[in-house]
Amino acid sequence: MLCAGLWIATKKIDYTWRWNRVPQYFIYNNETLVPTPFDGVVASVSNLGDQTQIKVVSENGEEKTFEVDSHTVEVSEGEDLFEGDYLGAVFEWRAGPLLKGLWVTLWISAVASIFGMIIGLVTGLCRVSNNPTLRSLSVTYIELIRGTPLLVQIFIFYFFLGTVLDISRIIAGISALAIFAGAYVAEIIRAGIQSIPKGQMEAARSLGMNVPQAMIYIILPQAFKRTLPPLAGQFISLIKDSSLVSIIAITDLTKSGREVITSTFATFEIWFVVAFLYLMLTSVLSQVIAWVERRLAVSD
Amino acid sequence: MIKTVDLKKTFIGRGQTVHAVDGVTAHIKPSEVVVIIGPSGSGKSTYLRCLNGLETSTSGKIEIEGVDLTSKKTDLNRVRREVGMVFQQFNLFPHKTVLQNIVLAQQVVRKRKDSEAEEKGRMLLKKVGIAEKEHEYPIRLSGGQQQRVAIARALAMDPKIMLFDEPTSALDPEMVGEVLEVMKQLAREGMTMVVVTHEMGFAREVADRVLFMDQGKLVEEGTPEHFFTAPQEERTKAFLRQVL
Repeated sequence: MLCAGLWIATKKIDYTWRWNRVPQYFIYNNETLVPTPFDGVVASVSNLGDQTQIKVVSENGEEKTFEVDSHTVEVSEGEDLFEGDYLGAVFEWRAGPLLKGLWVTLWISAVASIFGMIIGLVTGLCRVSNNPTLRSLSVTYIELIRGTPLLVQIFIFYFFLGTVLDISRIIAGISALAIFAGAYVAEIIRAGIQSIPKGQMEAARSLGMNVPQAMIYIILPQAFKRTLPPLAGQFISLIKDSSLVSIIAITDLTKSGREVITSTFATFEIWFVVAFLYLMLTSVLSQVIAWVERRLAVSD
Repeated sequence: MIKTVDLKKTFIGRGQTVHAVDGVTAHIKPSEVVVIIGPSGSGKSTYLRCLNGLETSTSGKIEIEGVDLTSKKTDLNRVRREVGMVFQQFNLFPHKTVLQNIVLAQQVVRKRKDSEAEEKGRMLLKKVGIAEKEHEYPIRLSGGQQQRVAIARALAMDPKIMLFDEPTSALDPEMVGEVLEVMKQLAREGMTMVVVTHEMGFAREVADRVLFMDQGKLVEEGTPEHFFTAPQEERTKAFLRQVL
């Protein structure tokens, strides 16, 4: 139904679907032409199956061997060559912009998640600590980040901090994402810690553990289990929010998509493909977290 | 062994002040089993929790084996190692198996080797009669079994004193016996115990001394025979009429 509706709608505006243009932006067979570096003669051409070795001897006796794909050989033995003449070509599979963009999105999100988790954990612990300074510092940070749009934060990180501290766009982008996620993770961690019955801390303390030991061995493992579902949601959000860093010219999946569109005009196809790729990343993450949740459920 | 002098604990909240413990002076000797009874809200649990620093006393003095608990210089964690505590709600660690529950603090606090801690854990599980459950998670155990694990967990630290905070109040009636049996055995072995309980039978049979608290004050104390047969105070008599 949906597909039929889409098809009719696009028919109406005379849109021509060109799905065949999409795959080459994932992966493509790159042709590199192999030129001869000097004037000379082809000494030998030996076919080694898919590859062919071509030996060229220059006018002053210099010898050089090249390897090209057999079906591209353009010279034969004894032929005279001038500098820059092509001997043949080498074909190689290369990742296209979409695949490269997907990779950039993946690692930016992963790095930002790790730092976001660390920042969130530390801030969450400060938030529940007895020290009033730490508590109000963490509250200020959380309110500051939650109260402003991520896009504006990215701009501030890139244009202000990036200029003042001379940091690259990629570091500015990742820091903005990590610090943004950290604020939300902190609140999730705080809620998780506070959801553990007080008796757990008391039991740990009554056995002589100090507060850090009780946190590490007793409270945090239980809190982690409870906060896994909201944390998963947060990291899925982070993957999606990472598309905003394309605005400071980081070539992530979204920016790659935009670039591909400018050269193909296959606007609809590419945005569908980009959406599908994000969906793939997020659903893989969902699956992984669901698996961890099942593993942790043994003590229920 | 335990000495409290004019111990006070005041809770301040929502405009009202509650004197939960209001000047309790008591002295508990080594190997003595002291049972504290009293109506709910009488401050007996708060008093007990002050003895290992889970509650910070407002004023007065607490001395455990000569260490002043109220002094700022005292390392509470050191004191707590020597004072085991058993809670009404067991408070076992739900993410650890029975054996891990007993082993963890030995490793973390006492820095014992795995093998040593596990051996001790198994020995104690045998002692409280649930050796076969060592790999179960606490949730799979009955209340009585959980409380016995909690006792074993406290004993694993080799405490010199054991505090029991209404250890049988959260249990189904048919499981009370098995927990009391473990506690009686401990008492016979000469453990110094302070027990807050509503089990009058246990108090009568096991206690060396009974303390009766009401409204934060120590109203009366004495041997079980004296306490249950010839109480002096009017408040004690009224309480005993209701529970016996």
